[in-house]
Amino acid sequence: MNKHPLLRAYLAGIAVPTVFLLVVMANYTLVRYVYNVPIAIERVIVFPMAFVPNLWGLWNLLHTAFLARRFSLGLFGAVLPLLLAPLGYFVAHLLEFPIPHRVLDLAPIGLCIAMILYYLVWKYLVSFLNAELGVG
Amino acid sequence: MKKPMRDGMNDNMKDGLSADEFATMREQLRDAMPPLDELGIGAELRRDLWPDMRRRLEQPPVRVPWIDWALLATASAAAIFFPALIPALLYHF
Repeated sequence: MNKHPLLRAYLAGIAVPTVFLLVVMANYTLVRYVYNVPIAIERVIVFPMAFVPNLWGLWNLLHTAFLARRFSLGLFGAVLPLLLAPLGYFVAHLLEFPIPHRVLDLAPIGLCIAMILYYLVWKYLVSFLNAELGVG
Repeated sequence: MKKPMRDGMNDNMKDGLSADEFATMREQLRDAMPPLDELGIGAELRRDLWPDMRRRLEQPPVRVPWIDWALLATASAAAIFFPALIPALLYHF
């Protein structure tokens, strides 16, 4: 267990969004193809499928490698939406995905809620996975 | 039409394993498995597992401070009052 701590940190980081994505995708498939709801999420699904888990893994790797003694994992994870939110908006804008005005108006509140949720998930779930894999 | 089996082999099959190949395979299988005396009852473990078990038993249960419950309640309330945010939040997980 003493080998490749950064690889283990990366794997612990990607685990939570990867598992969560299965739930989201199952619900999305149900809504889109069973109930025929016309939302073309497949156009932007690359963001939660590729960007988000990789950034979680890299974020955990970064924390393990350089910042484990300076910041708690929860607080460090809470900062991640500040990077993900503009990136997600940029990807959606680039792929011409229509974002409802209501969502854009609520973006500041959404960002705060995302930071709270990220704080809790990183503090409890990711740190649990890190401990199980002997990271840190 | 399927041809009948002859000596456990179909005509379409290539030659069976030779005695040498059987011996090689037997040796490889034997090398891959630990000796039986290591698997037997009362055999010694390679390392003592009790310290790990004890460390785990002595770990205090996870206690969630009130501030985290308050944050969770705030997030839940926001999801209830602003349901339009839920797809945007799911998009970022």
